[in-house]
Amino acid sequence: MRAVVERLTVLAAMAIVASCGGGQPAPGGQATPGQAAAGRALKIAMIAKSSTNPVFLSARTGAEAAAKELTAKHNVPIEISWLTPPTEDGQIQAQRIAQAVNEGASAILVSCSDAGKVTGAINDAVARGVPVMTFDSDAPESQRFAFYGVDDIKTGTLVMEELARQMGEAGSIAILAGNQNAPNLRKRVEGVKQAAAKYPKIKIVDTFYHIEQPQDAAAEVIRVQNAYPQIQGWAMIGGWALFTQTLLTDLNPQKVKIVSVDALPAELAYVEKGLAPVLLAQPTYLWGYESVKRVFDKVHLKQDVPVIIPMELVRVTKENLGTWSRQLKAWGFTDVPESYLALPQ
Amino acid sequence: MLRRTLASPQAGLVAVILLLGAVLGLFAGSHVDARSGLTVNNFLNSYTLIQTATDASFFAIMAVGATIAIISGGIDLSVGSVYALAGVTTAMVLRSLGPADPLVAVAIGLAVSLGIGLACGAINGALVVGLGVHPFIITLGTMWIVRGIAFVGSNAESILLPRALTSVAKASLGLGDSLYPVPMLVMLLVAAVGTVYLTRTVGGRRVFAVGGNQEASRFSGVPIGRVRIAVYVLSGLTAGLAAFMGASFYGSASCADATGYELYVIASAVVGGASLSGGKGSALGALLGAVLIVLIRQSIRTLHFDQNYEWIIIGCAIIIAVVLDQASARFTERRLAGVPRR
Repeated sequence: MRAVVERLTVLAAMAIVASCGGGQPAPGGQATPGQAAAGRALKIAMIAKSSTNPVFLSARTGAEAAAKELTAKHNVPIEISWLTPPTEDGQIQAQRIAQAVNEGASAILVSCSDAGKVTGAINDAVARGVPVMTFDSDAPESQRFAFYGVDDIKTGTLVMEELARQMGEAGSIAILAGNQNAPNLRKRVEGVKQAAAKYPKIKIVDTFYHIEQPQDAAAEVIRVQNAYPQIQGWAMIGGWALFTQTLLTDLNPQKVKIVSVDALPAELAYVEKGLAPVLLAQPTYLWGYESVKRVFDKVHLKQDVPVIIPMELVRVTKENLGTWSRQLKAWGFTDVPESYLALPQ
Repeated sequence: MLRRTLASPQAGLVAVILLLGAVLGLFAGSHVDARSGLTVNNFLNSYTLIQTATDASFFAIMAVGATIAIISGGIDLSVGSVYALAGVTTAMVLRSLGPADPLVAVAIGLAVSLGIGLACGAINGALVVGLGVHPFIITLGTMWIVRGIAFVGSNAESILLPRALTSVAKASLGLGDSLYPVPMLVMLLVAAVGTVYLTRTVGGRRVFAVGGNQEASRFSGVPIGRVRIAVYVLSGLTAGLAAFMGASFYGSASCADATGYELYVIASAVVGGASLSGGKGSALGALLGAVLIVLIRQSIRTLHFDQNYEWIIIGCAIIIAVVLDQASARFTERRLAGVPRR
């Protein structure tokens, strides 16, 4: 055994010595911010909140599509390096930002799980010459060059206004709010509350936080609905609960209305059944698609990019269900029900 | 000297780490450094190596304490939650104090983090000994309670820490910009102190004795209750220290910090050679276990494996590492016993 360990150690040491080729003058063909401008490869690290959340998978699809388009148009190879952690963890995101810089990323795209945790890492990356752009969830105190995403206060306001319309501007509502640490979600809750204040006959029972997983979110809705049977409306600032189908049978569309952010394939049945007459879709594909284009503008074309790039929400109802379904399909979602794709324009 | 080193229980782990490092060095590829214009290996560069050590340090510091608990025949599932509570309490205390002298802020921050870790560890130990309930159950309960206190106390805010603490945790110590060796040095220091405690002190020997054979220890006059409380205090203390380093390094603390880290910490201890049935383990092994796990995580990205396979790969690696370690131990036992190889 000792001989085996000895041989392994020697072998490993030799391999490490052999692979220590650092410090050589650049032979070319590798990506750096400076070289990208000269038409060389561009490596964009993409760090979303969680690789188990379908909205970020569609963002990845968008980023890869934009990379392919730009590569073909400008003859600049663009690689998307997907460094998203499996679960939300600001500390791991900070570590991956550092890793991306260490491995020669030309630029970094990040959706911040915890702005406080990643701000230092973003600033370190910028200090080392790697530009950083945020999408979906910002780190406003950092030195990122741009943010692309919805205005979260406005999103919360829109959710509440739509819900009020569906409920005849009267009744008790609950807010389903996801992870309480996420700054963007806190702002959406604030937007819901601000808008609710304009409707004197609407009463907010409470705001309910939960683990951002579909089953946890749906279970929370059922628990709360049982505890507060007077609830007639749900303002969902994220679509987690509607990624399951359980609420279709557990909630009565005649008594309860839901308005939710996001409109992914799994959620469309709620529109069809009338339980969620309105979904406010974030075109999550564009998080990746637009952000890669802006990074390219900034890093390769050396163009100015606005610091805040607003994303507009898409209002999804029974009327445009077919159009929206086809859009999702075109964006790479494979689980869009055929029945919705066949709906007329 | 070389022979003794190679015969040590950690030699296999070191060889695996070196081998994995060599594979990463060979296959990681290279890039051109933006500032120097030189071609740099994607893995074997000072930034990545220190970053890997930094990533491992927060697990490793906790793993040293958790290993001591495991050696005693116990287990501490609450370390991640203690990390979160220590971090948010430190941040809240420093926020409530307002602007303070940098040295004072660091001293207060360290005292609060260690104090919370110590208190949580003492409560764990007292409950385990006092109630006579298995530590798995007690620390499972306190894992939720402590996380809940952090949640309620902080209102789930992510609280920023004073810049003075970040300056300490991210001091470059003359290595150059963006190279931060402090967490790595603290990790090495904790492992060294843990090694001395376990191998050179009466307390350490008692921990092994209690974990190896509790009844024999009792008849030998070892104060079992005190030893068992002490191991949870040490586990809590290392969680508090890791929280101080982590919150200071990243500049903020929230109640969701270190969620699920207890599993990485226990995995580090086990991969490092600690036996869940007690009586076996080392601080150095815990450090190496944490480094190996972080290195495996690093390799998934560096070698461009699909990120979605991360959990599968880590799970398999942990099982393989432990099985190999056990096979090696059995082989050594048989060799020492003089049983001929079949």
